[in-house]
Amino acid sequence: MSIIQKLKNKVRSRSIHVSYVNVGSCNGCDIEILACLSPRYDLEQYGIYVHNNPREADILLITGALCEQWDDKLVSLWEKIPEPKAAITIGNCPVSGCVFNRRGSYVNPPVSKHIPVAASIPGCPPRPSEIVSTILSLAPEVFKDFEEKKR
Amino acid sequence: MSSSIIYYIREFCRPEWLKKFFFAKTPLLEAPAHFRDYPQLTGNECTHELRCMMICPSPGAIEVLKMDDGTWAPVIYKGHCIRCGLCVEACPDNVLRSGDLLERNKYEKTYFLASYFLHVDDAKCMKCGNCAVACPINKEIDPRLGSSAASSNDDVIMRVKDGRLTFLHPEKCTGCKTCEKTCPNGAITVARVVEGVQDED
Ligand code: SF4
Ligand code: SF4
Ligand code: SF4
Ligand code: SF4
Repeated sequence: MSIIQKLKNKVRSRSIHVSYVNVGSCNGCDIEILACLSPRYDLEQYGIYVHNNPREADILLITGALCEQWDDKLVSLWEKIPEPKAAITIGNCPVSGCVFNRRGSYVNPPVSKHIPVAASIPGCPPRPSEIVSTILSLAPEVFKDFEEKKR
Repeated sequence: MSSSIIYYIREFCRPEWLKKFFFAKTPLLEAPAHFRDYPQLTGNECTHELRCMMICPSPGAIEVLKMDDGTWAPVIYKGHCIRCGLCVEACPDNVLRSGDLLERNKYEKTYFLASYFLHVDDAKCMKCGNCAVACPINKEIDPRLGSSAASSNDDVIMRVKDGRLTFLHPEKCTGCKTCEKTCPNGAITVARVVEGVQDED
């Protein structure tokens, strides 16, 4: 392994940038992401930083059951994220549609049929510690030795 | 002035401070005992009363399946289950547990009482007897219950007698709603009623 790769691994392990998108959730899961930022959980001490810009992000957090308007927009948003990237769905909604998946409702779950999803955190909503621990355990799998693996 | 700057620089150069600033990680908060996580099996035998499936508010979250060894057991589907804990409380045999819910219910002497009410709309009913034949409890009590549902057994839940669907033992109903589903006219309805009860003493 080259020195530059080692350095990249080291830096990336403490610099995980996430962006989150609400594709039609009830806001419950978004509040739990917000709770991760609070002093009680303090996301940044683990080297996770939250942005609102997908172009700066490594990991996309998706909440919500995917309303029809998001069908094409989520894909274009996903394409804006530079490699290496990963998507994590939060809550039951992106998996099953949860409360919104009723007859006559305009939702189109699961999210994984639109973009590749690396991990999903079930729960309605999941606990903030479940969100943080999933990001922390997924990040090394995606980012470690990324350039070496690509070659 | 300059001394305070030097003081600050000295403070920031302390190794413990640097170490804490760059590497401190508090362990993630643990779920408190009252947190209702996904229900897990306690090992008690499931008697297939299906109360968990009846009370579950989330579609497709719980299913009682026959295991390889022939016993019944509830299966929770993550991604559908919202961790409300109702199935844990509704189960009369305490097959499931979630957090300290069972202990707390025992301590507070709270439990759920389930009752089922049958009603037939005589104006819609055509006395075909499909409901009485389909009912699994009727089948157990009177295996010879035939297509006309004119049973001679007085222990059955319901039968067609004298040109009318009559309920003899509605208290034996387990609320499965098989009758409701088989009725071609939507004449019979089953109401499932759950009461939360607390013992005073
Ligand atoms: S999983 Fe539950 S809390 Fe999260 S967005 Fe869906 S309905 Fe809301
Ligand atoms: S905890 Fe609630 S949602 Fe989950 S299976 Fe039990 S009753 Fe259904
Ligand atoms: S609900 Fe089930 S047990 Fe009750 S009468 Fe109907 S079929 Fe029989
Ligand atoms: S199945 Fe319906 S129509 Fe037939 S006897 Fe029962 S309640 Fe009446």
